[in-house]
Amino acid sequence: MAVLAPPPEPVVAAATGGNPQGWRRRLSGRRTRFGLLNATPVVIYLLVLFIYPIFSTLLLSLKGEDGGFTLHWYADALSGTNLDILLITLRISAETSAISLVIGFLLAYWITRLRPIWAGLVMLVVVVPHFISALVRTYGWIILLGDHGLVNETLLALHVPGAPFQLLYNELGVVIGTTSVMLPYAVLLLYAVMRGVDRGLMAAAASMGAGRLVSFFRVYLPLVAPGLVNAGILSFILCLGYYLTPALMGGPKQTMVASLIDEQVMKNNQWNGASALGVILLLLTFAGLLLLRLVKSMSEAAKNRGAA
Amino acid sequence: MIGLRNSVAGRVVLAVISLLVLVFLGMPIVLILVTSFGSDALGSFPPESWTLGWYQQLFADGSKWPAALALSATVAALTTLFSVALGMMAAIALVRSELPMRSAVYGLVLAPLVIPQVVVALGLFLLFEPAAMLGSPIAIALGHTVLATPIAVMILMATLKGIDERLEDAAASMGAGRLTIARRITFPLAAPGVIAAAIFSFITSFDEFFISQFLSSVDTITLPVQVFNVLQFDVDPSVTAVAALLIAVAVVALGLVSVVRKLGSGKDSGLLPVETGISGGDIK
Repeated sequence: MAVLAPPPEPVVAAATGGNPQGWRRRLSGRRTRFGLLNATPVVIYLLVLFIYPIFSTLLLSLKGEDGGFTLHWYADALSGTNLDILLITLRISAETSAISLVIGFLLAYWITRLRPIWAGLVMLVVVVPHFISALVRTYGWIILLGDHGLVNETLLALHVPGAPFQLLYNELGVVIGTTSVMLPYAVLLLYAVMRGVDRGLMAAAASMGAGRLVSFFRVYLPLVAPGLVNAGILSFILCLGYYLTPALMGGPKQTMVASLIDEQVMKNNQWNGASALGVILLLLTFAGLLLLRLVKSMSEAAKNRGAA
Repeated sequence: MIGLRNSVAGRVVLAVISLLVLVFLGMPIVLILVTSFGSDALGSFPPESWTLGWYQQLFADGSKWPAALALSATVAALTTLFSVALGMMAAIALVRSELPMRSAVYGLVLAPLVIPQVVVALGLFLLFEPAAMLGSPIAIALGHTVLATPIAVMILMATLKGIDERLEDAAASMGAGRLTIARRITFPLAAPGVIAAAIFSFITSFDEFFISQFLSSVDTITLPVQVFNVLQFDVDPSVTAVAALLIAVAVVALGLVSVVRKLGSGKDSGLLPVETGISGGDIK
């Protein structure tokens, strides 16, 4: 806490009335040194405990049993059951982010229509679960969705045909669980964008004869599209490497990549194979982030064209 | 459905769907809180009779929970220390200085938020295994710090941006030294943000599962790992009480943050600093 701000030079400079250019350069040099001094610890920390470990994972995934270079682990990871697991991971992530987007959109839109005090309360219901351990919430779902859980008991009491349903240890259970974890992200991201939409634009469209559907699709949707893309891709990425909920709420057919990595390290001592899977997850994440960038710059370019 | 937004029916449908979604988000949490006081820990809802038995069992002789709780608290305290110290310096560098390659540094600091945790955990495992540090609370805390630091940095950056630098300049013009300025002006203004960063670092670590799982040994099992093991392998109904305690810790922490921020700023600046961070699209 000792050095919170660069030393106050301006007073001295003003008093001597010296050359302002030189003073500015001196000050800027000081500010740069000060910044470097403060940034160094975190940069070194992350290089050692974040970047270096990821690089050693990459190296390990390319190293054969004889120590030479090989792509064998990737071939392994992308064939047979491992490939199935990767595809299941992609499918569950896609389903989760699609459902999160749709219901997140409805909820966020509803919140923007509420009075501020109610909006605040509802946001509390969205945000507080977000900060409660996902493990605990998953456990709650396991109790809720069991054969004798509240959901099935309610459905039985309502004489819903087919009840009780199998809601756990299948894909439905996993998607319910992961969606409840990813949904708050989607709502927060969408709400931030929707709050910024100028309602006057909708009124303007209506005054010029646009029907509700037209003004929704031609005015509102394009305005909130960046938020939709953001929320969709982020919840997809976060889901890709997700472990807890699929491991606890899925059956053997819902094994996701993170579970496979865990199994290879903990049970099979197969670090190279686990590393290759990790790198594949990483590349998928980067692809998602790149796509996010691309969409962002495209929408900015479109906006600039519109302005010009 | 938006097309119907002006009609009463459309509004009602939207409200009903939204309320159902809120129930969807809140129900697992409410269920655990209620069930933890029910005499049949895994059964009917609402419980037929009430008991504190599960909570008493947690601290009974031979229970494995107190050790796990103590370990998690130690690791979380260490993580808080590391990530607030690193985060404060990083935030100062990012907000209050001319940093070369600023956006690269900022990207590096936030990257752990979007990189799959299993990859981070695997990398840390490969780092600590040869060093024979698996199972060391320090190793787990060092790992958790990677995840907690970005959150601390976001909160502290917002805090520093909110402090008017002219106050410091004014103090300086009246002859205050650097230490005096830090102690009398900057620190009191930044305190609520520092406390919020500390609390969020603490719960990030306290609830973290994957890194703890990869870096744990037979004798060092954190609370979430223990809960996971119980859920996956053996049935121990007192796990419901542990889950309820984890909920309570998170809710108390959030409550503390909002009280501190209210006292600090005198105005309501939103419950959660992270909320603005996440929703502001700061992640990428």
